[in-house]
Amino acid sequence: MAVCTGCSLLCEDIELVGGTSHAKNLCRKGWAHFQSLYTERTKPTIEDQDATLDGAIAKASEILANAKKPLLYGWSNSTLEAQAAGIELAKKIGAALEGTTSLGQCTLMEQVLTGKIPSCTLDDVRNYADTSVFWGADPSNSHPRHLSRFSYYPRGEKHQKSYEEERSCVAIDVRKSSTATLCSNYFYRLPPGTDDQFIESIMAALDGKIPKFGDKKRMIELGTLLRKTEYGALFPGRGLVYSLQEKMDLLQKLIAKLSEITAFKVVPMVEHYNTRGFNQLLLDETGFINSVSFHDGAAVHGPMQSMIEAARSCDAALVIGSDPLSSLPFGIARALAKKPLIAIDPRRSLTTDAAKVVIPSAMCGFEAGGTALRMDGVKIAFDSVIKGDMQSDEQILARIKEAI
Amino acid sequence: MVGAMEIYQLLPKDACKECGYASCMALAVALLNREKKLEDCPALLNPKYAEKFKKLKELLAPLENASETGLIIHPEKCFGCGNCVVACPVNVAAEPTRCAVGLGPQGEKVILAVEDGVVKCMNLKECRRFGPNKVLCNACTVTCPSKAIEFV
Amino acid sequence: MDADVTIVTFRDIFQDEAGKKGRYTDEYRDLSARIILDRQEMARLGVKDGQRLKVQNDVGSVVVAAKASEDEPHPALAFMISSPWSNQLVGDEVCNASNPGPKRITARVSPTDDGITQISELLQRMRA
Repeated sequence: MAVCTGCSLLCEDIELVGGTSHAKNLCRKGWAHFQSLYTERTKPTIEDQDATLDGAIAKASEILANAKKPLLYGWSNSTLEAQAAGIELAKKIGAALEGTTSLGQCTLMEQVLTGKIPSCTLDDVRNYADTSVFWGADPSNSHPRHLSRFSYYPRGEKHQKSYEEERSCVAIDVRKSSTATLCSNYFYRLPPGTDDQFIESIMAALDGKIPKFGDKKRMIELGTLLRKTEYGALFPGRGLVYSLQEKMDLLQKLIAKLSEITAFKVVPMVEHYNTRGFNQLLLDETGFINSVSFHDGAAVHGPMQSMIEAARSCDAALVIGSDPLSSLPFGIARALAKKPLIAIDPRRSLTTDAAKVVIPSAMCGFEAGGTALRMDGVKIAFDSVIKGDMQSDEQILARIKEAI
Repeated sequence: MVGAMEIYQLLPKDACKECGYASCMALAVALLNREKKLEDCPALLNPKYAEKFKKLKELLAPLENASETGLIIHPEKCFGCGNCVVACPVNVAAEPTRCAVGLGPQGEKVILAVEDGVVKCMNLKECRRFGPNKVLCNACTVTCPSKAIEFV
Repeated sequence: MDADVTIVTFRDIFQDEAGKKGRYTDEYRDLSARIILDRQEMARLGVKDGQRLKVQNDVGSVVVAAKASEDEPHPALAFMISSPWSNQLVGDEVCNASNPGPKRITARVSPTDDGITQISELLQRMRA
């Protein structure tokens, strides 16, 4: 059995057939992730010229050693071991650390990791939850096996009958997503940016008051469903997080209110396979879940939600296992693209194309083993399933640290 | 997907009973269930129905790809999410410690399994829709987020 | 003819798959460089499926293909799959009231004869 590192569900029941030519139980996204082993692999380069791995590592070490304010960015597609090596490197060279969630899930994840919002494991969801709420999230596209493995269709300890009889699924979104089509009776369509009003409306419905926002009858229906829920699970996605922004305390209030009535847990729908691992590791090490700077020795929390500051103020950046030039807003991507970049990545991306130094690495889960935290915080260990001579992120980071 | 009414509208509607059915509507249902072929309607072969015959051929073409239970999988639409694998009552009974609890199947007795990122169908005779005493189960179609599975 | 729209970005498994085949594949471009508009809105703009639209705001601009929505009517609301193309329209600072980020991009769309913006050009703009 192999583990898929294609998303933060870290599915553990993957069976490879005929070497690596076929695989059972990988979803479309996971299969594409697996197939990507064979396309667009990087090779070591320095300023677009082919180099040796040793040469690229030496050049990267030189750039970082000479930088006054280096930035180490990415981490959500790295093992816990590589993340730990990254934190050590940051301490040694006085770098700033930024994860890929700087812009999105941070506030919410912090509340979950510090216990301000109650959370649970996905196994708890499968065993006990009778209501799952997808809010600004579309797992059918982003985490394809979420509903089948945990949140809607499987049988659990407390739910021996089929999903139709014992579980309800709610989708709250601005568009009729693939997931929303599966929640026919409980799909709530919101105009963009009105999630705060929707929360107020649910709270009114829970209090038996007339909701001010949304279709009154349907809001009362939702209130009734939530009231009779024995164990609820809320899965907030980027849609909700971006919409609420500084009003995140509203969500906390809603969960607190629901918790007075019944058990209600929150599992943030982080995207990459070890996003949560980085937040947890950094929290344990520094007391902050993201945006930490070691510029002056001790860990200082950088301005929250200001990746732009980090991108502007750094004088060199190491990007690992992510493609910020594709995924970040243009302004930030542009600020970053102009810095001397070092990219550690198994595959070609806009970021590796813009990087001064490219260091190829093994693909975690396939060519390298390690551990990672699933979206619900459960630690999953995996071994490599393919023999390769690529070095892992962890090994590369250790070599850079040693060279500096 | 095509319906019996749509087929009926294109039939001669003369109730000649030569196909063995009492009405053209009954034939339409039989065509949909693939129990009869268009050629079983002699009137349709008359040149004056050539246009309608051609249309019916087109309408019924997708059914030819359907399995014996009427199941059609569109792999290009499939997310490989496994909702159908986990919802299918036959799968659940075959692998109570795997499919029933959300994991991919290991054995050979299941009807639906995800391979190379898309769902595949096997052991059709085990499907509740198989044979004359079929149950019109639709667990695999209603749980599909992308209409990648359907029954004709 | 043009229209002011609010663009909400979302995830799509097929575009994700195409991105894993390669950022520079035609498939990734075709699925990413696309804006989904209300049918009536498209009729008003005089564009059909696949015809090109310039999408621009204070941050940047991209030329993408129009696609008619299959959802119920949503005038003034448009959708794009999260990609380097949609990110061209998202500003520096996000997560505050004045700039709500990739889930609420305000932009103007207008028909154009210009070609679809290529990913190599997006990279060039970042490095310029």
